[in-house]
Amino acid sequence: MFAHLHLASAYSLRYGTAFPQALVRRAAELGMDILALTDRDGLYGAIKHAQACLAAGVSPVIGADLALSADEDGGGKGERRITVLARSGGWAALCRLVTAAHYSGERGEPRVTREMVAAHAEGLVVMLGPASDVGHAAAARRDDLAAGLLARWRAAVPDLVVELVDQYGYREANTAARMLGLAGAAGVPAVLSNAVRHLAPADYQVGDVLDAARQLVPLHPRHLPHSTSHAYLKSPEEMAHVAARICGGDEEQAARLLATTRQVAERCVLDPLDLLVLENDEPELHLPEIGRNPVPLLRDRCADGLYRRGLDRSRDARERLAAELDVIERKRLSGYFIAVAGITDMIRGMGVRCAIRGSGAGSLVNYLIGIGEVNPLDHDLLMERFLSEGRVGLPDIDVDVESARRLDCYRAIYERYGEARVACVSMMETYRARSAIRDVGGAMGLPPHEIDVIAKAFPHVRAKQIRAALSDLPELRESGLNDRALATVFRLAEKLDGLPRHIALHPCGVLVGNAGLRDRTPVERSLLDFSMSQFDKDDVEKAGMLKLDVLGVRMQSSMAYTLTEIERVDGVSVRLDEVSHDDTETYDLIGTGRTIGCFQIESPGQRELVAKMIPRTMHDLIIDISLFRPGPVNSDMVTPYLESRHGWRPVRYPHPDLRGVLAETNGVVIFHEQILQVVHAMTGCGLSMAEKIRRTLDTPEGRSRVRVWWELNVRPEYDRETVERSWEVLDAFGAFGFCKAHAAAFALPTYQSAWLKRHHTAAFFAGVLTHEPGMYPQRVILDEARQCGVSVLPLDINRSGRQWLVERVGPRADPPAADPQSPARIRVHPAGLEPAGRRAPAPAWVGEMGRGYGLRVPFSAVKGVSEAEVDRIVAGQPYTSLADFWDRARPSRPIAERIVQVGGLDALHRLRPGGPRWRPGELTRRDLIAQVGVLERGMRSAAQLPLGFTEHIVPGELPEMTESEMVEAELSILGMDVSRHVISFHDDLLDAIGVVRSAELMSLRNGAEVLVAGVKVATQTPAVRSGQRVIFTTLDDSTGPVDLTFFESVQGHCAATVFGSWLLVARGVVRRTGPRAVSLRALDCWNLLDVDRVWHEKGIAGARALLGAAPVSAGAVGGRRIEYANGFRLSPYADIGPAPGVQDPPRRLWHASGGSSGPAPTRRSA
Amino acid sequence: MSRLYGDPIEVWTRHGAPSQFVWRDRLYVVHGVLDHWVVAREWWKTSENDPGERRFWRVEARAGDQGGTYELRYDTASDGWLMIRAWD
Repeated sequence: MFAHLHLASAYSLRYGTAFPQALVRRAAELGMDILALTDRDGLYGAIKHAQACLAAGVSPVIGADLALSADEDGGGKGERRITVLARSGGWAALCRLVTAAHYSGERGEPRVTREMVAAHAEGLVVMLGPASDVGHAAAARRDDLAAGLLARWRAAVPDLVVELVDQYGYREANTAARMLGLAGAAGVPAVLSNAVRHLAPADYQVGDVLDAARQLVPLHPRHLPHSTSHAYLKSPEEMAHVAARICGGDEEQAARLLATTRQVAERCVLDPLDLLVLENDEPELHLPEIGRNPVPLLRDRCADGLYRRGLDRSRDARERLAAELDVIERKRLSGYFIAVAGITDMIRGMGVRCAIRGSGAGSLVNYLIGIGEVNPLDHDLLMERFLSEGRVGLPDIDVDVESARRLDCYRAIYERYGEARVACVSMMETYRARSAIRDVGGAMGLPPHEIDVIAKAFPHVRAKQIRAALSDLPELRESGLNDRALATVFRLAEKLDGLPRHIALHPCGVLVGNAGLRDRTPVERSLLDFSMSQFDKDDVEKAGMLKLDVLGVRMQSSMAYTLTEIERVDGVSVRLDEVSHDDTETYDLIGTGRTIGCFQIESPGQRELVAKMIPRTMHDLIIDISLFRPGPVNSDMVTPYLESRHGWRPVRYPHPDLRGVLAETNGVVIFHEQILQVVHAMTGCGLSMAEKIRRTLDTPEGRSRVRVWWELNVRPEYDRETVERSWEVLDAFGAFGFCKAHAAAFALPTYQSAWLKRHHTAAFFAGVLTHEPGMYPQRVILDEARQCGVSVLPLDINRSGRQWLVERVGPRADPPAADPQSPARIRVHPAGLEPAGRRAPAPAWVGEMGRGYGLRVPFSAVKGVSEAEVDRIVAGQPYTSLADFWDRARPSRPIAERIVQVGGLDALHRLRPGGPRWRPGELTRRDLIAQVGVLERGMRSAAQLPLGFTEHIVPGELPEMTESEMVEAELSILGMDVSRHVISFHDDLLDAIGVVRSAELMSLRNGAEVLVAGVKVATQTPAVRSGQRVIFTTLDDSTGPVDLTFFESVQGHCAATVFGSWLLVARGVVRRTGPRAVSLRALDCWNLLDVDRVWHEKGIAGARALLGAAPVSAGAVGGRRIEYANGFRLSPYADIGPAPGVQDPPRRLWHASGGSSGPAPTRRSA
Repeated sequence: MSRLYGDPIEVWTRHGAPSQFVWRDRLYVVHGVLDHWVVAREWWKTSENDPGERRFWRVEARAGDQGGTYELRYDTASDGWLMIRAWD
């Protein structure tokens, strides 16, 4: 039976079009019992191939198609490639050769030489096909050259074959026949292959698109000479035809060719279980070397831990420890725990914040040996969720470290264990709508900026949803993209759906192994030059390799920065991990919903939830974090929980026996751990089995299996109704719950960040602004800081730093309030001068939290500034003048100009821009900018200017910048408005049309219809219960956030405006969602600049008419809901990432009429 | 020297390969296939349906006393044959 020896799957990046599973299935249908996978440049698909083969009863052969380095054959264009196959037992040699290929030459361009191949040839078969140097020479009819090259290969490689391919191209059969002759003359066996890259003939079109995208050339016959529909997985009969064609009808020769092919295939068959280590009954795991027997070592360390944690007298702890160690030792994982503990110790030793996350927090061992700081006994966390007897698969421990130091941690791990024993895990990035449009647009020759606009117009959907999205979504229907000229681009882009595009470093996975690591996995260089396995996280586990997840968490960096600022400014050293977890003031802050900037609880939805729930303990926070997940939200657990919590509804249990398990959450199932306990309580199956059952609930088929199992195993004492009701809970919960251990691990940094915000407000914001851990743009954080009483201080060349710095600006405590004229309080908001009715009803202490501190805009915020420039500027402080700054800090001219434009030298040169009166003869920012030009010209002319000359700046004729010009400069250079909120320029208009401010919303009755306005600072389209695509938008109007919800019913006329505008006016209905929570159900919206223009052109009546007009709908939102068996419905356009659309300020921020450079800062009568 | 033509012709096939054809009112009998190759169409210029492919045959054929080498082309989309070029 014929066996394909040369086959590229989709894991040949931007080359193959079919996945191993589909190829293996087809091969089995065709009656083939052996199938090779030889992906280009790597073994990315090897584990998946082995798995598919095991499932289909096909014997796998694995190899790689590798490029030869530019060689000495001296002729012809194009790449030369060879195919190598691992002989039985040659997997390690193949891995090492692929690794070597990636480590020679440029990154991302693996190359082998004949010598490299020879060095690993022991375990390999080398095939020289038409793409090889020999093949090229044969095609060029240079038989003597071809024979010479073949002889050299033969001398280097013991198991060499010539590979014949004929895909019915011009003269291809001819070349194949020529190569057959050469092989015969040299005594080298010849085999037949089809150099497969597609599953079916028609797939070649996708192949053509990939060829164009990979080579960055347009689709044109000149660039794609090999477009052929014959490179598919041909049947044995079809291959016999090919053999006959090559052999010119010589039947005996054709039969010999096929027989040799078969022999080579048999020689290379691998046992899939050798690769899929975990499938074996006694898996031989790949464990780190500890140096001595890890079993007693771990036992000793746990015993020490009991004393250190004060648990030595606890019987619970001892019993739990014994049970955990029993499972760990039976699974022979002691060494893994020792290694991970060694790594976390090392990370903490480097002074890097490090916290455990995920199910690992449920293990007492992890707590005792110091991997994590969460005691599972405190929160009833179960080990079985992490590691259990019945669970196939390996535990993996996840730790969060400071994002800014994640790579330092990686480097330290590499250093400790050695490059050869460590590798990062990789992941395949696949084609989705945006990336597919980018690549196809390039192949079709569209201009890059157009491609960019088109791609960004789409939400993050699958590539095959492109055309559906175009007709379903109103904002796309109106976009003009539904044009015939683009139809081909979209059609082709859809064809790329789901294909791997490039390989990338997994955000956290690190393999820690022993010296044999590179015999098990091929390794290549990542972008940052870390060695990276070609296997993804699933492959790694199946191959029996243990990994540790080291995730960079920005909040950890942010908190670390906060701690250093507290110490620098106040001289206080805060030990964050020792802070008590029951600080009333911290919970007061959370309960008011003032959580912008805090870990996990800052989104509009979470602000609403915490304000309704009012958490008072760490346990409440754990529940809060678990509740705010698609699962609980969709199975409507939130309302019953809250009602019971506040005593508005009696707590109900499906059965009294479950009271113990469900009491902590008022009878509502929220945690995975509770599912385990419910199953165990009602069947007595044990927690390990219960965990297996929980995992089975992931799929619809699994659920029906569990249903049967449930009926059979529920204890007889439960009546029909209880069984039914508890099943409903399990079914509804399905796979959507949250692991309590994970929530407990999250709750700690959540609390810590809130504690820092409450007690060290300014330093907290400095950390958040510097490391940007959250979802909001910096302007929102700045505004929140202002509302918490922190001053925002402008850039100053003598006071600004690399990052956001905290400055003391006055007395810490309560009033006397800062003098509004003092330069420290640079922003005097008009709303602040209004009567008390406009003030936020937030407790007064919120505005006092950060009193006495300021945040200084850093140099790194200046657009285009380089790190080297920042370093020089900071090193040279202080400066005595512009000329001094120019000489010693040596900024580039544009950077120097930008620094002047946003006021970096105002203090030094005593400028007061934005003031009401400028008189000729006063120095201005414009004069300083002109002086930068003078300085630069002086530098370019060889002659050294006398110091006095450059120091002297002559005031010019032009007036100083106006307030609006200052804000415009700030927005374009710093990306945020520092001196004045941009919305304040529109106050006249907003007052005229009666816009309500965020701070006033709280005092409105439920159901009131109002107008709001502000800068769009967040847009999301998350999964929600109804299965609608709901757009959540947050506006910032300088008095706080305004949260708007656009349901599908209004998206027909609103979607394009919401996504396409930066400044918005919206009409909405007030929805009181809790004592301190309010949001708006939007009815209509407008771009504020459009309203502003109409106001200027037609007056207030025109503006009112615009806002009063009935909306014109662009049609409803289409698309079918994705329905799950348990009634959970999901919009196909629900999106986890940020929504598309405008996120940056447009160039023009307000209506400019007749030479004015912006609206006057003075009030006008409307 | 070869000449390019591009005339539509009628072709009889056996086992998928041309065996006889009529060109300019003469019946040619194919004696041997010298080469056969397939070229995919520039499908991206056409609409959604399959544009098909072009199958080329280079054959030796005779019509009475006249003979030579001929290149025939079959287009799967139009189901038609052309005489592309001849060496005679």
